[in-house]
Amino acid sequence: MSTTAKIADAGPGAGLTAGAGDNSLSAFDVEKVRADFPILSREVYGKPLVFLDSGASAQKPRVVIDCMREVYETYYANVHRGAHYLSQRATDAYEEARVSIAKFMNAPSENNIVFTSSVTESINLVAATWGRKFLGEGDEVIISEMEHHANIVPWQMLRDEKGIVLTIAPIRDDGSFHLEDFQACLSPRTKLVAITEVSNVLGTRVPIKEIVRLAHAQGALVMVDGAQGIVHQGVDVQDLDVDLYGWTGHKLYGPSGIGVLYGKMEVLETMPPYQGGGDMIARVTFEKTTFQEPPHRFEAGTPPIVQAIGLGAAVKYVSDLGMDNIAAHEHGILAYANERLSQIEGFQFVGTAPDKAAIISFLVDGLHPFDVAAILDRQGVALRVGQHCAEPLMDRLGIEGTARASFGLYNSRDDVDALARAIEKAKEMLS
Amino acid sequence: MSTAPAFERYDEFVGNLELIDDEDMRFEYIIDIGKKVDDSAFPDVMKVDANLMHGCMSKVWITGRPEGGRHYFSGFSDAIIVKGLVTMMTESFSGLTGEELASLNEDHVRKLNLGALTTQRQVGMLAMLEHLQKLARRNAGGGAQAAD
Repeated sequence: MSTTAKIADAGPGAGLTAGAGDNSLSAFDVEKVRADFPILSREVYGKPLVFLDSGASAQKPRVVIDCMREVYETYYANVHRGAHYLSQRATDAYEEARVSIAKFMNAPSENNIVFTSSVTESINLVAATWGRKFLGEGDEVIISEMEHHANIVPWQMLRDEKGIVLTIAPIRDDGSFHLEDFQACLSPRTKLVAITEVSNVLGTRVPIKEIVRLAHAQGALVMVDGAQGIVHQGVDVQDLDVDLYGWTGHKLYGPSGIGVLYGKMEVLETMPPYQGGGDMIARVTFEKTTFQEPPHRFEAGTPPIVQAIGLGAAVKYVSDLGMDNIAAHEHGILAYANERLSQIEGFQFVGTAPDKAAIISFLVDGLHPFDVAAILDRQGVALRVGQHCAEPLMDRLGIEGTARASFGLYNSRDDVDALARAIEKAKEMLS
Repeated sequence: MSTAPAFERYDEFVGNLELIDDEDMRFEYIIDIGKKVDDSAFPDVMKVDANLMHGCMSKVWITGRPEGGRHYFSGFSDAIIVKGLVTMMTESFSGLTGEELASLNEDHVRKLNLGALTTQRQVGMLAMLEHLQKLARRNAGGGAQAAD
């Protein structure tokens, strides 16, 4: 993705400064960025908050919070309905958010952008519409061993309903994903590849562009679960040539309750409606209903108006910082964390694929991850523990669960140091 | 398994935890209970799915048996902190009659003074209490040992 930071724009989120003698735009001032996130200045249990759970849900910059408050305080109304000023103003903002998101993803048009409630809904929407219409008995859908439950269960439900076959693309023991392993899963019956872009547990990146090329050569479509991918590396859907791409707002520093489904127009146009109701119809009589064109065909009922507008603000925020700069910053934090944490005796990385995104799942010898996370919590370090909605992956790795530190654009080396200290403390308390 | 008079152990836990005014110390108290558990008292043969309590971030097994009109519980977890909490719950509420168990509620858990620990663990302890009550009801009816 090619994103250029606007260094001259000193508005909120201008945590980017050109370093002296540094011609690159990678001089990312994390302290300025952190100041954009009000929650990061709070303490928990009397200790500074060290937030390492952005993979579950990221914190929100003030511009997003202010934007949403402004909507509620000054122009909130339902969209696409009212014949009054507020409704028009809200509709404009809602549709402007769609335009911003389309640009952020380099979609051909805002009409490629369907608002959903979450990436889970985005995937369910595709399974329930495209899947029900185009998949039949014996047709194959490829997923991978490291999918989130959200990209497993909807296809299993379709399997049970339609008799499709789920093919599981394997990973290697280190958590790496290899194209030749994937290629072996393709067959003339493959109709869809539904795959994560970045593993929420391992941080493994999947080579989507190559997968799309291989799948298309086989006549199959590709749907990407971009929940963890877009936040670390952005996305250019035209460059990837991906057919469908779902993601969620709350992991990209936006509000919860809003998700996105990008689809190529020739795919969206073939898909029947997902849910029936207001806003998705062109004309309703008791005898017959005709439906809107995409994307509105898939947006029945009052949509998450304020959340969509808030997501527009979040997209502007990260765009202003520059996704390339965010990726470079996170790469540096991950490298430092790898170095720092590997010095802890008994620390085990779970997932060591090359070129990982900034997600570290780990175990500590002899300690249960829940105990570790509970002690870390007492030290102000917030991270996730358990199976991370990826039970089949845990089975594949032969473990019950992990603790997971997931880094975001606001994490610093100090956070890594605090994590390392807290792990040492946990070892001391639990051993 | 405890044969102490009803609520004696519970009152002891409540008293101890009330004396500790530092939250971190209360945390260490639970860890200490977990560390002191004799793991051999809950052998692997009891760590089966039938005794597994679902919905926890660590594995929790609980068994119960009726004796002389009272219910006795035993529990285990693969996480030390949860093992401490399970031990506290099973020891607190062993030796009660079905009626006494049925009368327990959220307030009894809150009195353990662990409310300041995370909500998830609070929910976990409440879930454990409900599990004990379910086990007692089932055992009183002559059903299987496990609640689920």
